[in-house]
This record gives sequence, structure tokens and C-alpha cells, in this order.
Amino acid sequence: MNADMLLLSALAGIAVVFALGVLLSKDNFYSALYMAATLVFVATVYAFFNLQPVFVLILFVFVGAIGIVTVALAATYRSDPERQISRLWAVPVAITAFFVSLAIATYSYSALNLQPVSSSAIEFELMNFIPLTEYMLLVVFLISLVVLLLLSVLKISVGGRS
Amino acid sequence: MVAMDIISVSIIYVAAFAILLIGYLAAISSKDAVRLLISLEMMFGAIFMALIPLFSVAHLANTAFGIALVTIFASSGELLILICAITLLDLQKKDIHTSSITIGGDEL
Repeated sequence: MNADMLLLSALAGIAVVFALGVLLSKDNFYSALYMAATLVFVATVYAFFNLQPVFVLILFVFVGAIGIVTVALAATYRSDPERQISRLWAVPVAITAFFVSLAIATYSYSALNLQPVSSSAIEFELMNFIPLTEYMLLVVFLISLVVLLLLSVLKISVGGRS
Repeated sequence: MVAMDIISVSIIYVAAFAILLIGYLAAISSKDAVRLLISLEMMFGAIFMALIPLFSVAHLANTAFGIALVTIFASSGELLILICAITLLDLQKKDIHTSSITIGGDEL
């Protein structure tokens, strides 16, 4: 195991440890902080593979915007919730474990036929990852999504007030 | 700079799986809407992590970036709606515990 592999293992391990902190912390505020730290380390794994655009997106949009709002919300509603742990969650665990194993096995099988690509070979061209018409359609779709979200919030707000 | 081999992919998948399961457990064990929101964000983080191996395939790299872009913005929108819903739940019920939510879903 070389230094790069150790660094990747350390980053992934720290992310999992912070995720455990979310589960074990009884205070919502600290849980939100641990969650933000987990997402930062997930984004750092992207940076590790030199995928800087996704790193910036996750850090700015997900941690910077949504994460901060969540931390503020958790600081407002600090409480010690009761625990309710059911053994039924073992079923989705088993199913997800099966699919993860299948994904690893499939990847290891297909990796023999795939030509590996270095991170520097990836060029992010927003206009070229799909044809121009589909790109414009995607932009229209995203704008429509934002408008629909705003309308949903307005409708919920009106319903909540009435 | 690291070429993505099977060990790297395995580390990423296992870490994503662990974070996803912790998120599931936190969601199931939460009786608080804020903790539910936190666990959902963590699950989205696990999904972002599981997307990384897609970047290792040369002809799928740009598509993977497109998928990441749409996923990040769509999940952020969903979480904003949930934050708004939590605020309105507090406005209506003066309580954010999940037990106070009586509409929607099946009764267990």
C-alpha cells in the first residue's frame, strides 16, 4: 500500500468517523457540525483525484449553503431526542451490501477491459459533455426545477399560514 | 495524482456504504425533524462519494460531471424544501418531533 492509498484510506476513514459522530452525538448542533465535516471530507476525496470542479460545487453549494442553514437550524432546535432503533434496518443493510459487493465485483471484472484514465486527462467542457440542444434543454430543466421549488415553497407557506 | 485502481474503488465504495448505513440508522433512530434532515444530507454525501468511480472511465467523465452537477443542485433544492417544511411544521404544531406529523405515510 503506497502513500496515496494510505492518504485515500485516511480521508475516507475520517469521513466515516465524523459520520459516526452524527449518529452518536445527542445534540443536534454538534450532529450538524459533524455532518458538515463529513461532507467536507467527501469533497476532499474528489480533490484527491484532482476533480476540482466537483470539489468546489460540493463545498460551496452543499456545505456552504445547505450545510450552514442546517447548522443554524440545528442550533435553533437544540434538543436531546429519544432514541428509537429498530432491528428492521438490517434488511436494507443486507440489500445495500449485496449491491455494493456486486458493484465492486463488476468493476473489478470490467477494469480488465477498460483503459485507465489519469485525472489530468479529464477535461471538463460544460458545453461539450452533451450536444448543444440537450445542454440548453438541461439548463431550461434546471431553471424550471428552481421555479417549481419556489412555487412549492410559496404554496406550502400559504397553506401553513391559513 | 492517483490512477483509480480496484483498491481505490473498493475504499471509496466501502466508505460510501458505511456513511450511507450510518445515515440510514440516524434517520430511523431520529425522532426529530432536524436530525432527519442531517441524516438525509449525510446520505446525499454518501451518494456523491459513490459517484467518484464513474470519473475513472474516460468516455464517461464528462457525463459523470453532468450527473454530479444535476445531483448536487437537485438534492440542494430538495433539502431547502425540507428546511422550509420543518420551519412550517414548527409554525403549525409548535413541535418538530416526527411523532407530531400525522399526515402522510402509513401508520406503523
